[in-house]
Amino acid sequence: MSVLRGFLWLLAFLLLGQTFVRLFHIPMPSGVIGMLLLTLWFGYRGRMNPDVVHVSQPLIAMLALLIMPGVVEIFFVADQFADQWAAILTALIVGTLLSVLSSLLLMRRYLPENDEAANPLGSVDHE
Amino acid sequence: MNDWLARLSQLPQQWFESPIAAIALTLGAYFFGIRLFKLMRRPIWCPPMLIAAIVIAAVVASLPIGIDDYNRGASWLMLLLGPATVALAVPLYQQLPQIRALWKPILMTLPLSATLAACYAVIIAAIMGAPKDVLASLAPKSVTSPIALGLAEELGGSRALLMGALLTTGITAIFGVEWLSRILRIRDPRLIGLALGINGHALGTVRAFELGTVAGAFASLGMSLTGAFTAIVLPLVWHFFY
Repeated sequence: MSVLRGFLWLLAFLLLGQTFVRLFHIPMPSGVIGMLLLTLWFGYRGRMNPDVVHVSQPLIAMLALLIMPGVVEIFFVADQFADQWAAILTALIVGTLLSVLSSLLLMRRYLPENDEAANPLGSVDHE
Repeated sequence: MNDWLARLSQLPQQWFESPIAAIALTLGAYFFGIRLFKLMRRPIWCPPMLIAAIVIAAVVASLPIGIDDYNRGASWLMLLLGPATVALAVPLYQQLPQIRALWKPILMTLPLSATLAACYAVIIAAIMGAPKDVLASLAPKSVTSPIALGLAEELGGSRALLMGALLTTGITAIFGVEWLSRILRIRDPRLIGLALGINGHALGTVRAFELGTVAGAFASLGMSLTGAFTAIVLPLVWHFFY
């Protein structure tokens, strides 16, 4: 029952998010607003509702699965973008490699050095 | 006998009249993809999602049904995207102490990284002459799928192309982070996690959790913040230009 109660919480905040989106003309998906509202609610209560934590783990693990049905369609509409494939693939692959490089460099420049406790991987390198 | 064969040939269409067959096919392909992925010793360029999508495409193409029949059923499964997005509040809330401790460097770097992730791709595609609807489908490529789908709809992009872009971006980001962090000698799991979450959305985050809990926590932080930031800024910037 805990899972269903948690699911009801998620649906309630999804509807609340949709309400906000409609009322205030927010240019964002209702799920995102619901997510932010639920985070604020947790912060206000000072703790997380255990039912929601319970249901969130399998749902978040499903995110990768939920990408899939959409991906299938690309094989059937591929010829619609037939003359665009070079541009699309270059943009995606080169663009992503460039953005990975710049975020790694940016973060290395500005993130403070780790103290030992927060860095289990790094501790391997010390003699 | 002929009567029986006729009934047999109608079966696939009758299966896909209700969403059950599409949902079963999706779940079956998902677990088959994971099984094959492990048998192939986890090739980084071919994640389980790609295997599963190809399996579903092959099954749909070989049966006398159309992709629309499959989509209609699978859309019931996609209904879960909404609650799954709201569920991201849990990792976000769990990371709040980390965000508070590191808010300054994260605030300086994350919006810029998230902006660059969208800009590089859009600029390269625009230079190579891609039309507006292709650009709109590529812009949310580094955002987790429920947010990205809403964004592409808002900007007028193609749903199918965006989903393909998400998959390609996820694979490239995982490969890129591991390759480039080795070259740059970056071993800090916080940094690797953030880079995976910002650039590789849910696929990158799943990978980061495989590397360790610190990397995974920071990846979900990067994924949530990139999603929230892009969801707010991208429509504004887009409508400014178009």
